[in-house]
Amino acid sequence: MTNDANDDTQPVDIAKWSETAPRYSEIKRMISVFVGRPLPVIGLVIIVLLILVAIFAPLLAPDPPNQMEIINKLQQPSSEHWLGTDSLGRDTLSRIIFGSRTSLIIGISVTAISSIIGIVLGLLAAYFGGAIYHIIMRFMDALMAFPMLLLALLVASLLGAGMLNIIIALGIGMIAAPCRLMCGVVMSVKQNDYVLSARAMGMSNLRIMFQEILPNAFPPLLVLMTIGIGAVILAEAGLSFLGIGITPPTATWGGMVNDGYKFIMTNPVLAISPGVAIMLVVFGFNMLGDGLRDALDPKLRGVI
Amino acid sequence: MTPLLSVENLKTYFRTYRGLVKAVDGVSFDINEKEIIGLVGESGCGKSVSMLSILQLISNPPGEIVSGRVMFDGQDLLQYKSKSDAMSAIRGAKIAMIFQEPMTSLNPVLTIGRQLTESLEIHLNMTPQTAQERAIELLRMIGIPDAHNRLDAYPHQFSGGMRQRVMIAIAISCNPKILIADEPTTAVDVTTQAQLLELMQDMVNRFDTSLVIVTHNLGVVARYAERIYVMYSGRIVESGLADDIFLNPRHPYTIGLLKCVPQLGETRQERKLVPIKGLPPNLINMPTNCAFLPRCDRARDICRQQLWPPLELVGGQHYVACFREIMEKP
Repeated sequence: MTNDANDDTQPVDIAKWSETAPRYSEIKRMISVFVGRPLPVIGLVIIVLLILVAIFAPLLAPDPPNQMEIINKLQQPSSEHWLGTDSLGRDTLSRIIFGSRTSLIIGISVTAISSIIGIVLGLLAAYFGGAIYHIIMRFMDALMAFPMLLLALLVASLLGAGMLNIIIALGIGMIAAPCRLMCGVVMSVKQNDYVLSARAMGMSNLRIMFQEILPNAFPPLLVLMTIGIGAVILAEAGLSFLGIGITPPTATWGGMVNDGYKFIMTNPVLAISPGVAIMLVVFGFNMLGDGLRDALDPKLRGVI
Repeated sequence: MTPLLSVENLKTYFRTYRGLVKAVDGVSFDINEKEIIGLVGESGCGKSVSMLSILQLISNPPGEIVSGRVMFDGQDLLQYKSKSDAMSAIRGAKIAMIFQEPMTSLNPVLTIGRQLTESLEIHLNMTPQTAQERAIELLRMIGIPDAHNRLDAYPHQFSGGMRQRVMIAIAISCNPKILIADEPTTAVDVTTQAQLLELMQDMVNRFDTSLVIVTHNLGVVARYAERIYVMYSGRIVESGLADDIFLNPRHPYTIGLLKCVPQLGETRQERKLVPIKGLPPNLINMPTNCAFLPRCDRARDICRQQLWPPLELVGGQHYVACFREIMEKP
């Protein structure tokens, strides 16, 4: 051992030392990449607005969502009803505002359920390999062979309509993507020397999987989950539009498009306004996901 | 004196599409208490695989430990299942290992402190508090300044040499009986190499640990190792005390290895460096006779007629697997 390295008696001038080697913050770099471009920020603003609207829906909405004024049905937009009223005389704006709750709850819970199951299955498959890998991944292949909407339709018609059943139906349909992604990432992460090192230090499989591998495999999943929320909201709207989604009278954007499209010639606002809401929110999540990907991908460092 | 760890006739094969690779083919060696051992050989001769086999870290498939015994503390480690708790209790706590690449051997998303305290908490049942204190102490020992604050640093904030020191600290943290260093200095520059080797020697002396240095660099083992094993294509071809190997090499391969290392004070006129001709044999298609035969400049008829020469004692603790030497045994 050389003297300077082992000599503990000599005080180290910490102030000077940290001055020559400034701490480099990865988080700050990510934030600057993320904020540096307009689209992800727009996406973030849309999503923050959506969350605020969903939380403060009762304060923001001019009327209760299910309050019917049959006399005022199918009105054009006016100062009293900004986006008009539907065939039962319910205020469209209020229903869109309350519909944001449904979309957000379903989007987040479905993504959470499918991601957790998908991540665990993908991790198990890639870590243990062999028979476990084949069983899990062939099951995922089978799941992917069905179009997601069709699968959700099948499960929803088996279980019946309703919020919980829709969450289960979409949740099952969405497992394959995170599972496959996780499996691929873990296969490459587990080759790293620190995994071998951890095994050589006597770490248990569980600890290696969840502490050593999972955090290293997580960034791409974060991106997938963000974009996934948009996809789930779209799928839920699709199911509600087909009439097997959330049971009426709960306000959902898909259901509102379904109610409104019969009057598209006379009252276009009725179908178009929830459609625009769906579009904006899905756009927002996709842009956020894109921005996250660019910020988290080490290969793009310095390029953007 | 019974050795601390004794490997007997270890065979580790890999099943590949191109055939059976006999990476380790009947290797035996002993590690005594508080001893520094060098395991020398060129790339792909089975050094690392034999070390990984001891801890059952060979992934199966494609690898498989076909036969052999690894006696440690009166127990055959190969009797344990690779993923069993008993095996995990050995790894890190009794036999620890350091790998070649310091840049990738630490987990990039965990702090240095976490990686140091983790094994302490698992193997020694320390509380997070005492583990932390112990981690600071270890960082001081390996010469990291400002140890207290550096616990919160991430691996990318450390240089390659510092990371390898941290790896040494992690490996030594649970007071293992044996420390296996698998090419610990290959990826760092020469100055750092020397520092790391001094550090390892210092640590194993302090903790009464045995050290196995796996390397292809004879210079590394010359200074530190007490006993040396020379491996060639999956087998040990010569073993003995460091002096036996360096001053009186008997196997043509060892002689060849020493001939291609320059020595201090030599001028170009005095001696030319002589490379060993040819390439090591393909492990898939091993010759049944001596694997070094195609490259050997001292081959005799018996080498071509007989199977592998056995490892035989040629004096003291000096063993050689070569017909020429065995026949001329004093």
